[in-house]
Amino acid sequence: MTYSIIGRCARTGRLGLGITTFSLAVGGRCEGVAANVGICKTQAFPNRTNDPLAIGLLAQGHLPVRVMAMLAANDSEHDYRQIAIMDREGRIAAHTGSGTRGWSGHRIDGDCVAFGNGLVGPQVLAGLIAGFSARPDEALEHRLMRALEGGRDAGGQGDATGHRPERSAAIKVVDRVDYPEIDVRVDVHATAVEELRRVLEEFKAYEEFYRQRGRDPARAIPQDLFAKQLEARRAGRPS
Amino acid sequence: MTYTILGRCARTGRLGIGIATFSITVGRYCYGVKAMTGVTVSQAFAHERNNQLALRLLAQGFSAGAVLQRLMGNDRHASYRQIGVIDRDGTAVAYSGPGTRGWSGHVVGENHVAFGNGLVGPEVAEAIAAGFLAEPAADLEHRLLCAIEAGRDAGGQGTRDRHKPERSAALRVYSHHPYADIDLRVDLHATAVEELRRVWTEYKKYETYYRDRERNPKGAIGQEAFMATLRAAEA
Repeated sequence: MTYSIIGRCARTGRLGLGITTFSLAVGGRCEGVAANVGICKTQAFPNRTNDPLAIGLLAQGHLPVRVMAMLAANDSEHDYRQIAIMDREGRIAAHTGSGTRGWSGHRIDGDCVAFGNGLVGPQVLAGLIAGFSARPDEALEHRLMRALEGGRDAGGQGDATGHRPERSAAIKVVDRVDYPEIDVRVDVHATAVEELRRVLEEFKAYEEFYRQRGRDPARAIPQDLFAKQLEARRAGRPS
Repeated sequence: MTYTILGRCARTGRLGIGIATFSITVGRYCYGVKAMTGVTVSQAFAHERNNQLALRLLAQGFSAGAVLQRLMGNDRHASYRQIGVIDRDGTAVAYSGPGTRGWSGHVVGENHVAFGNGLVGPEVAEAIAAGFLAEPAADLEHRLLCAIEAGRDAGGQGTRDRHKPERSAALRVYSHHPYADIDLRVDLHATAVEELRRVWTEYKKYETYYRDRERNPKGAIGQEAFMATLRAAEA
């Protein structure tokens, strides 16, 4: 039980992954996100070596469709995996093995691929894509967040017996630097998508402060003071 | 305001980071650990490119001390950084720049660096090191978490009359895979160290199940069936 989206911002070329699932700490299993290379995420019954291997193959110059073929040849349990790959130019390959459980599938749409398993139905993929496509002018992390909310609002994970809670979630976005620009996580929570929205909003409020503090330490104000100013701005008072 | 333990297990060669801080989403600064290579964190006024550069230098074969020198030579604001590095041999080094704020310092020994800034005093760094060394035969992730908890219990961040809350925390351990053995985070919480312990306790129940499910999908039971066995075992 998982639903995910890999997307590319056509304006900036930034790449990102949004994911949520019933399993705990899913963000700790998302190492296949590499700046200037691409993204690979293996889920359902994942093979942890797939994603680092795929990033290495993409970096060598292989196309996503070729990378997928090599992953298949390298794994006796490929039928149990669900995999999506996007390179830095936005080329996509996806695979949903017949051994994945519940309603399971993927859908490629322009600059994104939505994929999931253990879902209430194909409407969840439609919800992910609609969320991603709703505001193409926004920063990629916000589009990925809207996608996850769209998937959740379309019913998310579960079956005829009921909904399954999202217990962990993560968003990662890479740009030019060799570490993720955006990297927010919720590891154990009763409503992880809602909590991820809270973490993302709070991080976005600090993002520029953190970046500038690293680049120009001599002029950085203390974080307490920044936090107080932020609180004042939110309350609508002059700081 | 941050306190951190970098550790290497002398038995297994596993490498890891435990960290807690006032800043949110600190886990995003914890990419400086790699199997068979080394572990590093740059903090205080963090220079975000340091960690990847340090890993590449370690992979090329530079020792921890040489890596630290090269990081400092590459950064005109080096005096504002606090940096720890352990190489694959367990040699550990650290630097706490004079531009870092509050009480700032480090305790370095073979296979570990305990360091922090904006702390109530040196007793925090000492407690972190002692926490790490308390159970040398235990798993590295357990020792790292105990070290961070010891730092919190010794007063953690702030001044003696005013404690600063830990709002985020993270724990990452690598063994010999190209992915982390353990990668847990608390990004935004009023008591992040306690929450990290809760996340850890929950995750540990599932760890083996998740691993086996990946390796043997055909024989895997559903996660809800697994949870029923957990509940039965706890009852």
